[in-house]
Amino acid sequence: MSRNIFEFFRIGRSASSIDQRQSRLLLLAALFLFLDSVILTLSPAVREQTWNVSYRWSQWIGYAIWAALFFLADRFTRKQLPDRDPLLLPLASLLSGWGILTIWRLDPAYGIRQAIWLTVSLAALAAILYYLPSDLAPLRRYKYILLTGGLIITGLTLLLGTNPEGYGPRLWLGCCGVYLQPSEPLKLLLVVYLSAYLGDRLLIRQRFFPLLFPTIFVTGIALLLLLVQRDLGTASIFVLIYTVILYMATGKRRVLLATALMLALAGVVGYFFVDVVHERIGAWLDPWADPSGHSYQIVQSLLAIANGGMIGRGPGLGSPALVPVAHSDFIFTAVAEETGLLGTTALIIVFCLILARGLRIAFRAPDQFRRILAAGLCAYLGIQTLLIIDGNLRLVPLTGVTLPFVSYGGSSLLTAFIAIGLLLMISSQPDEMPALLTAPGSYYFVMGVLGVGIIATLFANSWWAVLRGPDLLNRTDNPRLAISDRYVPRGAILDRNNQPIDVTEGQSSAYHRVYLYPDLAPVTGYIHPTYGQAGLEASLDKTLRGLQGNPASLIWWDHLLYGTPPAGLDVRLSLDLELQKRADQSLGDHKGAVILMNAQTGEILVMASHPTYNPNKLDEIGASLAQDQNTPLVNRAAQGMYASGSALQPFAYGLKTAQQVIALFENLGFYTPPQIRLPVAGAMQSGELKNLRISPLQMIVAEGTLSAHGLRTAPRIVLAVNTSQQGWVILPALGQSIQALDTATADRIANELAIQNQPFWEWAGAGNTGPDFSTWYLEGTLPDWKGTPLVAVVLLEENSPALAKDIGVQLLKAAITP
Amino acid sequence: MSGVVVLAFRILMAAAVYIFLGLALWMIWQDLKQEGRKASLRVFPAIRLEVRARNRVVVSKTFSKPEIILGRNPACDIPINDETASAQHAKLSYHHNQWWLEDLNSTNGTKLNREKLSLPTVLTSDDEIQCGKTKVTVIMNDTMPGSPEP
Repeated sequence: MSRNIFEFFRIGRSASSIDQRQSRLLLLAALFLFLDSVILTLSPAVREQTWNVSYRWSQWIGYAIWAALFFLADRFTRKQLPDRDPLLLPLASLLSGWGILTIWRLDPAYGIRQAIWLTVSLAALAAILYYLPSDLAPLRRYKYILLTGGLIITGLTLLLGTNPEGYGPRLWLGCCGVYLQPSEPLKLLLVVYLSAYLGDRLLIRQRFFPLLFPTIFVTGIALLLLLVQRDLGTASIFVLIYTVILYMATGKRRVLLATALMLALAGVVGYFFVDVVHERIGAWLDPWADPSGHSYQIVQSLLAIANGGMIGRGPGLGSPALVPVAHSDFIFTAVAEETGLLGTTALIIVFCLILARGLRIAFRAPDQFRRILAAGLCAYLGIQTLLIIDGNLRLVPLTGVTLPFVSYGGSSLLTAFIAIGLLLMISSQPDEMPALLTAPGSYYFVMGVLGVGIIATLFANSWWAVLRGPDLLNRTDNPRLAISDRYVPRGAILDRNNQPIDVTEGQSSAYHRVYLYPDLAPVTGYIHPTYGQAGLEASLDKTLRGLQGNPASLIWWDHLLYGTPPAGLDVRLSLDLELQKRADQSLGDHKGAVILMNAQTGEILVMASHPTYNPNKLDEIGASLAQDQNTPLVNRAAQGMYASGSALQPFAYGLKTAQQVIALFENLGFYTPPQIRLPVAGAMQSGELKNLRISPLQMIVAEGTLSAHGLRTAPRIVLAVNTSQQGWVILPALGQSIQALDTATADRIANELAIQNQPFWEWAGAGNTGPDFSTWYLEGTLPDWKGTPLVAVVLLEENSPALAKDIGVQLLKAAITP
Repeated sequence: MSGVVVLAFRILMAAAVYIFLGLALWMIWQDLKQEGRKASLRVFPAIRLEVRARNRVVVSKTFSKPEIILGRNPACDIPINDETASAQHAKLSYHHNQWWLEDLNSTNGTKLNREKLSLPTVLTSDDEIQCGKTKVTVIMNDTMPGSPEP
């Protein structure tokens, strides 16, 4: 066995070594794509974390077609071109196979079309190898006819153009389900024309500008066509290809300078006068300004790359379809998400090797025409590759062009394989000496620029995938969290007696949240793919999603294997559902809030806010809820701010100066938002007295001092988390308990407010700001009460003290009766 | 469990693509080495240069290396004892299966068969090169195989 492996990697020096090299590389490419297909088949099992799933088989059709085609291509090139470059075909095969499988994984319907186009492309390659003479003379002779033909066909799209998607720019010619984008092969024809023209003319000494006139003329016509069609990406590629070929052939730097100035000028003019250019450049300069509009694509692209990270989520295991046109313009993003930085680096190196071999072929070409042609084909492949990859990585503004070999698109695939065919032809010149290259400097310069571009691409790729990735993934517009919620159960929210409040039901791939006690919605909130999260579901999200409370190693391992967090953890609240139901019933249709709290421990037993809503029906009512005049989404108990009015009088009784009152209110927490695991409203500025507005939660924390000998306890609504390793773990209160009133004062006030023959004190107050009226009713157990010290607050957004008192008294009575 | 199995396949897949790249790079490396071997084994015809002063042969030397420099500098392959010659005056080099003569920006120029030389030019046997006032005759013998100069 070891001998076989040794044999496999040994490169013989015999005449057949070219054939051996090609077949070995093709075999390795086939192995790579085989593994890719195996993983795609198994991927549903990983997603749903069970073996009992329907597996994905259809991409094997694509694999089989790919394998058969390249087996034939291998045989054919052996016979036809014994002295070809042995690396080109395997490199192109790897890219196209990777493309087909990625496209298939995104959408099998596109995959099968791409497989058909691959067949057509390889047939075209074979035809070139078979019919063209090795000096490519017909291309040279008929350069004007070829280019004119290409221009006419491209021009036809102005009259007969369509778009296979049914909308968007009409750049295709098509019939009966087959579409061709003539601007793709036109690139190739331009390269052929320029190399033929320059190859003939450069030998004759001629002044520079007369030499260029014909090329400027035909390139100008091509550009004009593309500009009329608004195919700006392809137009910029044309300008770049033209410049690079001209520069390499003539070695005159002023060509580069002129083009750089022209492109900059076109960019500036386009930015101010052409909407598409303005949008694209704006989205490039600051994508975060409009992440759901013009820069939606680029932001989603960066999110996908970030989700891929270092090693990727695995084929079939990411969510690359979230990026619009992932199969075409953003195929690089799809590869990045599923194979990570490791995969995209390999992809970029494969392109590098194609360029390196292409330039080697150019240097060894036996005449000027073939040298410029080979270099021009490299320029076309290199420029287009860098433009679209760097566009995906936000290194340059986005141009809607395809990634050669990989992207979906018949015209693009065909063009790329014709380019490979021509390069193979030029490489197969065994006995001819390379033509004299008088000034190689321009070639080295172009190679240097491509090299710098590739290095910059790798850096940008690492930046988004690894360095900035974790930050990006926390963005709220990352839809992957909502997707992982469908595959991983979220922790349940339980009341203090482990009665379920919010639970996750269903099975993997269809988990959904069920709210068993919908009246609590303003407090517990919701989680929804469109409307996000609210209430406790938001503040406890990390725990419920399993990202907090699980060991870091488990989180890392699950992310590595499944790309999701581990199963969520259950959370126990301090709420008591029995008492909660009673409070909700008595509050009924009245707008207001009720809180019941243990004054000693700070545990909140009841927190009601009305009106409420049914989070189970969020799909239907979600859009209208936010506009509802009655603001049911607001948790009035913690987020509502109400005029305190006369409700605070008992505390301030006997204090002489405003400073004393402010100091007291400071102690009671009226100027600081309560610290609790729940979204709360911000407090008013210190010093506010007359128009002081406070939330019912602030009020109950303050009145707790009267039932607990002046102790202001930190409120708690979450008691414990059920961790996988240590069972229920207590979550302590976030805030500190402090002695806000001295014991004597607190007890005196409570006793002065005592109700006759009852173990309670009470106080009713009212406040109003303009037309809004707030009725407060405060009640609590007396300081000498032997049981659990309890306090309650009732707030109504109406003037009805009797109702408030009724609600409060009933609730507290129920709470102290066992 | 499915995750672990697929992780193993993912590692294999990454290994496959990098072995592919490694093998491709190895082949490119082999190509480079082969180029080097070819360059070192290259065979070229020997060339004899005869320097004349007042119609007498002063120096006659046979070369079998691909580059010969003529000039007043004594370190040159053919030192020319003549004030009208530059320190490094002209170069003979073998490529494209030919011996080429090239002027090295000399002050007084190089003449080939009495014509001023402006571009690298192919030499044939019995050509006469003139550096300043000194004349050098080229004698080629196609059958002489190249061997390292002593």
